[in-house]
Amino acid sequence: MPLLTRTLVNLRVRLWGRLVLTSMLAILVLSPAPAGSESTSPGRTHEYNLKAVFLFQFAHFVTWPAGSFRDENTPITIGVLGEDPFGGALDEVVAGEVVGARRLDVRRYQLVDQVGACHILFISASEAGRLPAVLAGLKGRNVLTVGDTKDFATRGGIVGFAVDRKRLKLRVNLAAADSAQLTISSKLLRQAEVVRKGAKR
Amino acid sequence: MIHPKDSVPLHAAVRRVSGRRRLVSSLIAALFVTTGLGTVADADPSGDTPSALKKLSLEELFTLEITSVAKKSESVSETAVAIRVVTQDDLRRMGTLSIPEALRFIPGVEVARVDSRQYAITARGFNGTIANKLLVLIDGRSVYTPLFSGVFWDAQDTFLEDVEQIEVIRGPGGTVWGTNAVNGVINVISKPAASTQGLLLTGGGGNVERGFGGIRYGGKLGPRAHFRVYGKYFNRGPSLRPNGDDAGDDFQMPQGGFRADWEPSAANAITIQGDLYAGTVEQPTSDDTEFAGGNVLARWTRKLSAASDIQVSAYYDRTKRTIPSTFEERLDTYDIGLRHRVALGSRHDVVWGLGYRQFFDDIRNSPMLAFLPEELQRREYSGFVQDEVALVPERLRWTLGAKFEHNDYTGMEYQPSTRLAWTPTTRHTVWAAASRAVRTPSRIDRDLYSPASGPPYLLAGGPNFESEVLHAIELGIKARPSDRLTASISTFYNKYDELRSLEIGTFPLLLANGLEGDAYGAEVNVNYQARSWWRLDSGYTIQNLELEVEPGSSDTSQVKQEGDSPRHQWYLRSSMSLPHALAFDIGVRSVGELPNQDVPAYVAWDGSLGWQPSGTVELAVVGRDLFDRQHPEFGTPASRREIGRSFYGKVTCRF
Repeated sequence: MPLLTRTLVNLRVRLWGRLVLTSMLAILVLSPAPAGSESTSPGRTHEYNLKAVFLFQFAHFVTWPAGSFRDENTPITIGVLGEDPFGGALDEVVAGEVVGARRLDVRRYQLVDQVGACHILFISASEAGRLPAVLAGLKGRNVLTVGDTKDFATRGGIVGFAVDRKRLKLRVNLAAADSAQLTISSKLLRQAEVVRKGAKR
Repeated sequence: MIHPKDSVPLHAAVRRVSGRRRLVSSLIAALFVTTGLGTVADADPSGDTPSALKKLSLEELFTLEITSVAKKSESVSETAVAIRVVTQDDLRRMGTLSIPEALRFIPGVEVARVDSRQYAITARGFNGTIANKLLVLIDGRSVYTPLFSGVFWDAQDTFLEDVEQIEVIRGPGGTVWGTNAVNGVINVISKPAASTQGLLLTGGGGNVERGFGGIRYGGKLGPRAHFRVYGKYFNRGPSLRPNGDDAGDDFQMPQGGFRADWEPSAANAITIQGDLYAGTVEQPTSDDTEFAGGNVLARWTRKLSAASDIQVSAYYDRTKRTIPSTFEERLDTYDIGLRHRVALGSRHDVVWGLGYRQFFDDIRNSPMLAFLPEELQRREYSGFVQDEVALVPERLRWTLGAKFEHNDYTGMEYQPSTRLAWTPTTRHTVWAAASRAVRTPSRIDRDLYSPASGPPYLLAGGPNFESEVLHAIELGIKARPSDRLTASISTFYNKYDELRSLEIGTFPLLLANGLEGDAYGAEVNVNYQARSWWRLDSGYTIQNLELEVEPGSSDTSQVKQEGDSPRHQWYLRSSMSLPHALAFDIGVRSVGELPNQDVPAYVAWDGSLGWQPSGTVELAVVGRDLFDRQHPEFGTPASRREIGRSFYGKVTCRF
């Protein structure tokens, strides 16, 4: 350990050094310790893995108007607009899956204008600032909009993810679903909270 | 460039960054050497895989308890390393046009523009145009030159709109990255092709950046295969002489490239990418300096299980440089690497790898200065292993690793490190590290002769030059006192031995390892989200380097390089997202004097205003050094160039 000893001896703590140490201590001491609620334990599920599975499940519980598919073999497209938070989870979930005769296809878009034939669109948190413009750009299209930003469904999105006591919750805006001509199965709606646009909670 | 995306409070950006930081933490960033991509799934041993979740009923899905990525990522970075990430949003907001300019607002990093094409860039001291203690990788491809162990910054460009992020790690990274990652590592990471679909056009111009433009098109090759191609060009005006005259070093460079990503199955990902470039720099009194090159890289990642993945990558890089009547070089580099990561039990995360690199260097010398032999072939092979142990799950992590690398000059070199990260609460991480890193000899250390016509020589290389050695101790704290405030302090003590010296007590002169020194410093970074639309970022760096001539050495010049770096640097950046899709950024940075070069301290103001009138168009006006007609950043008064105030406008369209 001669190196370590020599190094420590050589370590000159001058005025600035003390300042740094003091401020390090200050940050450590002064900042409030959070409640222990955030500690994680094994056995929990990765948030976006779960959300990816939900996006896949929506394909089973939503009915699109006939015109939104070219034919009965046209795949169901799940899109991600903006920064993709799923990693590879979404691709992994839909790989090899079919709903009826339809395969599932994942696409990623940077801009709402790029969203072509798309059936389920996850609007990433990165787009939160321009959500009204995004939703306006999808107006009249048969797209199930899904998001997890605050008040997504009450701001005009169709399905919003929320986290309540560490469980995932769904908020569904039925009026928005109607105007997109989508029918959401009652089986899904039973598990969801139905909200209206502009509603304050 | 400006984007309304920026109006999203940092959480989004922070989340991405920190998500990646967690990945880094689990592997001490080993992955990024070769992946450059998030293709390795976020293997979360504590959570269910997507495939398993899929089998659950709807009711069951609602009962699952989740770990929120958002929460995790909003908590402070737990990495036991001083890391800072420049995101695509940062690049847009700053209106950045080059990789060096993207590194300006990072604590601990020195960026000094030398003239129209050259930069002196380093971390934690030893700056110079041939600075040799910083390793730079672009998508896993090392761009350091074995000529002087540094980077020709003029030849390193990329399509910045397609960059995902630039990671800057201060401190030794030799254990994973290998020799030359002595004082830091920079990783430029581009987006996967799937994230850059469609047509993007960008262009603009101004007084110094006279004209620049780029086009990128991304498309699909199949259901799981995407590609993009790009081309770009810039024409940059000259730097200035101290009296304000044009220095005649106008610089222009076209560049093009491609990337294709294919995921034949969920477990396999293949990437192939490449670039071509050709730069020309005018010189006032001779023919143009020219450089050109290209590279192609292939990478295959295979996920063996949730706890294990393997990656093989290979690249070829050719670069040529002609400085008329001075120097001409052609360098070919072949590199192949293997990396395997495996989680052993619930506590150990092991990553190990093997690498082989070979280069052929061919130089045409000038009468005054010569690299001898002119043609040289060199081989390096290496292996590394690193284990991250969760001593106390979620609380205390210990990382231990070493790299062994063999080079043709000095034989086997070893670079061990150990790191400890303690996360007492989700808002605090305290970390410490001890490392050994080496800079192996490069051609400039061993093969530099003058004059070329010798013997007799005035300077006869460094026949006995050995590796420079660093022993470093680092200590840092990262904290998130509130949801709006993050702060980090990184401190270091570096002990250098065997540093390069110029021995003038002999004839001919020789390069040797006659210097030693120590450096210490601290870097502070505070990031404050004042409002949902307003973010402040600040940094302060203090460092001190003291070099000494070892007994027996007759060096009098190299020892002065302790004055090549500023003692103090600070910056403050404000980023505002304003109504009407406007974004306004302003940054001020202060750089202390460089005593060895009589470069005075300076304060520079940069600003940019962006507007996105529609989803397809972005406009920006950018000003650099707003309140200063011109100033020097590097070089001695007799020969240096200065940097003038610049403005440019930029338009970006996405279709």
